[in-house]
Amino acid sequence: MKVLRWQIVIALLVTFPMAATAQPDVGDVLIRNGTLLTVTNGTLENTDLLIRKGKITAIGKNLTAPEGCRVIDATGLFVMPGIIDAHSHIALEAINEMSSPLTPEVRMCDALNPLDISIYRALAGGVTTIQTLHGSANAIGGQSVVMKLRYGTLNPTELIFEGAPRGIKFALGENPTRVHGAGHNMVPRTRMGVEFVIRSALTEAREYQKKWDEYNEQKMKRGFRGAPPEYDDRLETLAEILRGNIIVHCHSYRADEIVMIMKVCRDFGIKKLVLQHANEGFKVAPEIAAFGAMASVFSDAWAYKFEVYYSTAYNAAILTRNGVLTSINSDDPGVIRHLYHEASKTLKYGGLSRDEALALITINPAKQLGIDNRVGSLEVGKDGDVAIFRGHPLSIYTVPVMTIVDGIVRFDREKDPDDMRIYVDPEERFDQSGFEVPEGYHDCLGTATETFHQLFESH
Amino acid sequence: MRRFVANTIWIAVGALLVFTTAVAQDQELAPVSDTYAIRNVTIFPSPGRRIEKGTIIIRNGLIDGVGENVPIPPTAIIIEGDSLFAYAAFIEGLSKTGVKTPGEDDHSRIEDPGNPPPHRAGINPQRDVRDYLDPNDPNIKELRCAGFGASQVVPRGILLPGSAAVILLGGKTPDEMVLKPRSACYSELTSNKTVYPSTVMAVLAKWRELYHQAELARDYAAIYATNATGLPRPETNRTLEAFYPVTTRQQPVLFRASKVLDVQRVLALQKELGFVLILGDVSEGWDITDMIKASGARVFLSLDIPEDPEEKKKSKKDSLENAELKALTKRRSEFIQKMTAQAAAFDSAGIKFGFSALDTKYSDLHKNLRSMVEAGLNPDAALAALTINAAEILGIDDRLGTIEKGKIANVALFSKPIFDKDAKVMTVFVDGALYTCTEKDAHKKTASTVEGTWRMTAQTPKEEIELKVVLRKSVGKHYSGTITGTRMPEGIELTDVTLDGKTLKFMYDVLLEGKPQEVVVEGDVEGKTFKGKITVGEYGNYPIEGTKDPER
Repeated sequence: MKVLRWQIVIALLVTFPMAATAQPDVGDVLIRNGTLLTVTNGTLENTDLLIRKGKITAIGKNLTAPEGCRVIDATGLFVMPGIIDAHSHIALEAINEMSSPLTPEVRMCDALNPLDISIYRALAGGVTTIQTLHGSANAIGGQSVVMKLRYGTLNPTELIFEGAPRGIKFALGENPTRVHGAGHNMVPRTRMGVEFVIRSALTEAREYQKKWDEYNEQKMKRGFRGAPPEYDDRLETLAEILRGNIIVHCHSYRADEIVMIMKVCRDFGIKKLVLQHANEGFKVAPEIAAFGAMASVFSDAWAYKFEVYYSTAYNAAILTRNGVLTSINSDDPGVIRHLYHEASKTLKYGGLSRDEALALITINPAKQLGIDNRVGSLEVGKDGDVAIFRGHPLSIYTVPVMTIVDGIVRFDREKDPDDMRIYVDPEERFDQSGFEVPEGYHDCLGTATETFHQLFESH
Repeated sequence: MRRFVANTIWIAVGALLVFTTAVAQDQELAPVSDTYAIRNVTIFPSPGRRIEKGTIIIRNGLIDGVGENVPIPPTAIIIEGDSLFAYAAFIEGLSKTGVKTPGEDDHSRIEDPGNPPPHRAGINPQRDVRDYLDPNDPNIKELRCAGFGASQVVPRGILLPGSAAVILLGGKTPDEMVLKPRSACYSELTSNKTVYPSTVMAVLAKWRELYHQAELARDYAAIYATNATGLPRPETNRTLEAFYPVTTRQQPVLFRASKVLDVQRVLALQKELGFVLILGDVSEGWDITDMIKASGARVFLSLDIPEDPEEKKKSKKDSLENAELKALTKRRSEFIQKMTAQAAAFDSAGIKFGFSALDTKYSDLHKNLRSMVEAGLNPDAALAALTINAAEILGIDDRLGTIEKGKIANVALFSKPIFDKDAKVMTVFVDGALYTCTEKDAHKKTASTVEGTWRMTAQTPKEEIELKVVLRKSVGKHYSGTITGTRMPEGIELTDVTLDGKTLKFMYDVLLEGKPQEVVVEGDVEGKTFKGKITVGEYGNYPIEGTKDPER
């Protein structure tokens, strides 16, 4: 017993410093005299916002800056909560574990890449929090990561949004059937197959959970003798979904498959469901609302494959008007830089109010990710995650000028060096174009290549 | 950085080495005595200590005496050590030198890529590197002649290739070489890209699952062993059984983790599961020394230093020369500098480390060590990393790592102090046996051109493969070319062709069973003949020979 206790003491001693390094940096900043788009409490003109130790501590007029606190003059600028993207795949070294239609046990946090320059580019578009997900190759993919864009750290753990609920990727339709049915010649080959794969996995997980519950109960009894059930990380994770501890983010486009997944969830008692993409969500918006599912959609992306032809830019507005909590996501390292433009489209297509449009990229995705107590609006007590724009963020002329995470300025348009990479590959070649001609090399283009180079040198 | 002509470091300087007795060349003849006396030699018994004009007595494979006035036994073969410098032979912490690729005959199609047979997924912790040791691998000699006398070798493969062993770099049979079997459970974050687990996140998921399964199986096996009556019989499972000593912290996990993200992934896994960890091949650890120190993990740093691509190119007129290019080049150089200074950073952080030389050319080892010393690494710390620290990390410091009475006679004799630019390894004792490293005939500089058409034949266990290689001169040591041959009628562009001295090396990519594999051909050119080896991805390496077509 004594030995055991010492082991614990040693373990604590050893692990403590590491835990300490995983604490994210926080900062103090006073943003003075801006137009605050609070999202949950309207627009406040000529108002100050104070962040201390990474939290919003005061919103009001003529706030005084504590000593040593950085002051940002936001006169004529718009201050909004940091943008949240509920569906992204940046900052990952791997996206799809394509070998199996069922991979719930894989965790995207294991593939996290804090060095990805896309994080900085997203910051430059006012984004402060994202959910980075497993891809849509599998009927049930891996567990996602909700992360703050604390670009600059090397430590993947420091990016993770502390205490955010777990999420997992499901995927229906053409992607899983193409990868596994067409690609590996196995189930699921059809939409029916996808449903079958999900149902049988959840059924198996239910049995697995029961076996372990029984074993754990029996084990407590005096004189118990017996073998433990086999440990299976895959079923373990699925059992966690059944227990309601993991939010299901289901890649789905068509109305029929949306209705299908809601039925599956109902049958297995799964309540936390966010429909990702949901291009035909507008067709079944009342049903989605009745289930209590949420939707994270594109502003106007469609026709890139057969199952997404029947789509509309009114989707977000229709879903919203039908009482479905909706967000707009990027699913793309380029689009993530202008989610404010994506949101603004709903002003034209569907006539959402400005606050409703801003909610699509702030408080609504926060709710979908279960982190709305921390982020998604400018409120005292919430995290100091702020995006500052020149021009209203829903205007086509807007320019993001500064992005703050936990009170720390992570993007500043005034201080935006060309090379923001944290690590570089010492053996990289710069000329990716293929125009570079090694000395002594002769090709059939001959002098044409030289002419081409002169073209670029003559400026 | 490859300015040195490969292998010139090892050119014979016979005059420096004077034997009073005829000594067998590289153990071809049995020596007349197993007792040696190296006299009048400058001895560095351990880092920071130096004995001028001392004597080392080697008897029966052990060091029998070290010092200034040590009596020389009458049966001893005497080696005059005037002008020589004696060090404890170096120890490599993570090595694949002398290890054969497991001959996998199973290339059958995997029906369900989500559920492959474990050996196809790289889950082979029950394998033992001793089964794959080849005492006749010429690379052992090369590593030895870089001053190394022992290494921790690991099986080739992916994910969980098997258990490592500490070996002595000498001996006729695998068992004769082994100093410490099952020294670690070896693991990499690599995978078979086509079956589960194929990505880094699935590799880690699989790792955790195996670990938990092993813990449960281990506990139940213990219960069953005490009283089996009335209990369901546990299935034996060699994969999990191999994990038992890892779960009880009796065997460390030697994890190859080179890049900064991989190191952190492995540290996070270790923190979660609690096994004893040795990090191997670390090349980007300078920013996370605090984290590594806190984890208690022991470390083998990579001896590799990347080459500056500019050095390769050396083109005078660079059409893209501009401010942006300059800035990018500067950053790249900064990172090469950081890698070079990594060992110094670990030393300042107070982390005990050794070295691994997995991807480093043997001919670059000393040059790289010198660069690390120039970048701030204390020479004594560098020597400790090569000798006693490596021995301590491997738990063999009672036998190796210093020149001390009673230790195994692993001693390297250098022509100059080790970090001197002209230092050459003259003689290495391993396990008390003498190996000379000075060969007179070997290295004529051949400036012959390799441009033209080559006919090459590779010998695999299954078949002979005919290849036609066409090489064209590019820049400096660089060439371009194409390869055609058995099952490659189309012709494939070679990716990186270099002629360094007489060493010709080229690479190309092929698809084998739908999986891309990199093929590396490396060997020596003598006039119009070529002899070397061809390495096909994870499949292993085979001999290859060729002649130059006189037509062109």
